Amino acid sequence: MRLRQQLSSAFTFSAPFAVLLVLWALLVPYFNVNPRLFPDLGSVMQAGIEGFQDGSLIGHIGASLLRVAVGTVLALVVAIPLGVAMGVSPVVSSFLTPLFRFFSVLAGIAWIPIATLWFGYGFGAITFIIFNAVFFIVTYNTLLGVSTIPRQVRDAAASLGAGRWAMLTEVLLPGALPNIVTGIRTGLGFAWRGLIAAEMIATNVGLGYMLFVARDFYRTEVIVLGMIVIGVLWLLLDRLLLAPLERATIERWGMVQRA
Amino acid sequence: MSPLLQAWSAYVRLTVRWPSIASIVPFVPVAAVWWMVTELELFPRVFLPGPVEVVRSFGSLVYKGILPEYLQDSMVRLAVGAFWGIALGIPLGILVGTSQRAHTALWPLLLFFQAIGDIAWLPILVIWFGYGLITMTFVIVYTVIFPVVLNTVLGVRSIPITMHRAALSLGASRARILWEVVLPGALPNIVTGLRNGLGYGWRALIAAEIIVGTSGIGFLMFDARRAGSVVEILLGMIILGILWYIVDSWILAPIERATGQRWGLVTR
Amino acid sequence: MKSLTIRNLSKTYFDPYAGAHVTAVHDVSLEVKEGEFVSIVGPSGCGKTTILNMIAGFIPITGGEILIDGRPVKGPGPDRGVVFQSFALFPWRTVLENVAFGPKMRGIGRTERERIAHEYLALAKLSDAAGRYPNELSGGMQQRVGVVRALANEPDVLLMDEPFASVDAQTRMTLQEELTRIWQDRRPTVIFITHDVGEAVFLANRVVVLSEGRMLEEIRVDLPRPRSWDALHEDEQFKAVTGRVLQLVRSA
Repeated sequence: MRLRQQLSSAFTFSAPFAVLLVLWALLVPYFNVNPRLFPDLGSVMQAGIEGFQDGSLIGHIGASLLRVAVGTVLALVVAIPLGVAMGVSPVVSSFLTPLFRFFSVLAGIAWIPIATLWFGYGFGAITFIIFNAVFFIVTYNTLLGVSTIPRQVRDAAASLGAGRWAMLTEVLLPGALPNIVTGIRTGLGFAWRGLIAAEMIATNVGLGYMLFVARDFYRTEVIVLGMIVIGVLWLLLDRLLLAPLERATIERWGMVQRA
Repeated sequence: MSPLLQAWSAYVRLTVRWPSIASIVPFVPVAAVWWMVTELELFPRVFLPGPVEVVRSFGSLVYKGILPEYLQDSMVRLAVGAFWGIALGIPLGILVGTSQRAHTALWPLLLFFQAIGDIAWLPILVIWFGYGLITMTFVIVYTVIFPVVLNTVLGVRSIPITMHRAALSLGASRARILWEVVLPGALPNIVTGLRNGLGYGWRALIAAEIIVGTSGIGFLMFDARRAGSVVEILLGMIILGILWYIVDSWILAPIERATGQRWGLVTR
Repeated sequence: MKSLTIRNLSKTYFDPYAGAHVTAVHDVSLEVKEGEFVSIVGPSGCGKTTILNMIAGFIPITGGEILIDGRPVKGPGPDRGVVFQSFALFPWRTVLENVAFGPKMRGIGRTERERIAHEYLALAKLSDAAGRYPNELSGGMQQRVGVVRALANEPDVLLMDEPFASVDAQTRMTLQEELTRIWQDRRPTVIFITHDVGEAVFLANRVVVLSEGRMLEEIRVDLPRPRSWDALHEDEQFKAVTGRVLQLVRSA
């Protein structure tokens, strides 16, 4: 019964895409659209198959995902402890909040020029941008999450004998978790877009680069393929990883406080 | 009473009267640290210039008329893009929110196209429209439209059914309900969507200017990078940050709060 | 269970907006014997919550001392259990895990602490709710969890800070009767803060009236136990005591 439900919702979700694909397959040839303007479905699929076979597509996807993974993990390792440490004191957190909000605004893309100047082209600069995009937002959200844990809940834990380590693991981290997860989700969104933008100008491998180079040669089928891959990747990441994580923490615990 | 307590007391009274001061004061130590770090030459001046140079550059660019012109270009693009994003996004959001059929047909497509992101469209846009205003506007509209639509849909759907029923039982037609119930009811969420949308649109603008621009703040930063001049890059980033901070904290956030409170609805 | 001694307790702090020092509690002394139920009652702002927070160790003492069995209190700890007005349950833990929290902090193993938690949940007649999350329960049920969570840790003193103020009137009466029943079973030493005079008298052996940081009077309550609202509603002695306390509170 559950399976039927899942299949049914999967069907409803994919139906509009199926319609779109059919329209695509029919309209492009019908209107004789110049392939240098917009590719037909067949050539995109072809480009996709070729890309897989010669490994270039996997190479680009792998490079992009690796940069995201490294940048994100580094950022989280620094941001979460920092956010907790700052969020514990109401004086510190209210003082630092404007600072972090300011830097959250600059997250990601605005750092591209300075990153390429400091790190040159390539892996370092791009990972820095991703780190940046995730770091400020996650720190800010962690700070917010910890500082909005009601004082009485922390007092309750103290009066039940919680020491500092227990306070951290049993109260501060779980309490801030919904905000942290929201921060990760937003930060990754910025990071993903920053990644594509940075790859367009600062490197020679990756999905952004793939798109940009294809433009030079008017290979629209590669561009459209790249766009679809980008869309699918992010959808997968968001729907399969981030959204369930968010749902699991926020809805389960009935905490409605969100940044 | 010790002088420290007196000073703290004065500070608290000051911030109660002018809350904005509390938003500015935290930046003072940052600026001070920045200044010290550059004076101590911890990094080569070429890599990290100090606040003095940035201010000087600000002055000279304003004097040469470059900065005001670029600022204006950026603002105009953002305004045009935001306008169309909102003008298209709200009706679309209301449609998807109210009609189950529209929702089923369009929701997956909305999610997918949002996932592609505005930046990925730049290459094909450049092929179609070149490097001009249309490309820029498209990117901004594309970015703004999704938060607006999604938040509008959320707002529409979170209106309690009892309100619809009340309106119906008082003789309102479907069309009247849209105007009298749906729009006001969804307004707090719509404003949130506007705020988010403008935030994303702002970033999209900078990205577009960096990658394909010929003027504007983003272009300023990228051009400076090509010339190897970090000063203008930092200047650009600071201007971006301050501008957005001002617009968001002092214009958009209060509007969002006001609509939420006015309608007595708890949005977030 | 130990005895609690409060001697010449006072609390002064600096209010930055007013630019002056404020005295919230003024020279309060109180002796609470083992197993006694003391209510502290007074109008809002009279300092009763401040006193409780000092006993609990949440805020520092600026004058006088608080001793448990002769030892001064220093910071919060499991020897002083607290029940909060806002319940303060951990929303990310089940009811059972909440009640087992104190024992967990003391290093008690899982099987044993779950046994303890079940025992106390049964005491509060909440065994069915063990696997649920706090946000799934009603306010009254959440507060009962709050009470047994503090009790399960077997504190020397149980401090209750207007615990029933966030609950509707009917539930409040039920909770009050529940509390007396639980108290008779376990006989903890209790300090109960409230602004509700009837509640204060209903629950306590002794009522302390506080006003503007000063103790006005201590009144013994000799009503027989077990107490129920049906019985006491029209009881002459109850009305007399309540009347006296109310008079004191309102005169302040």
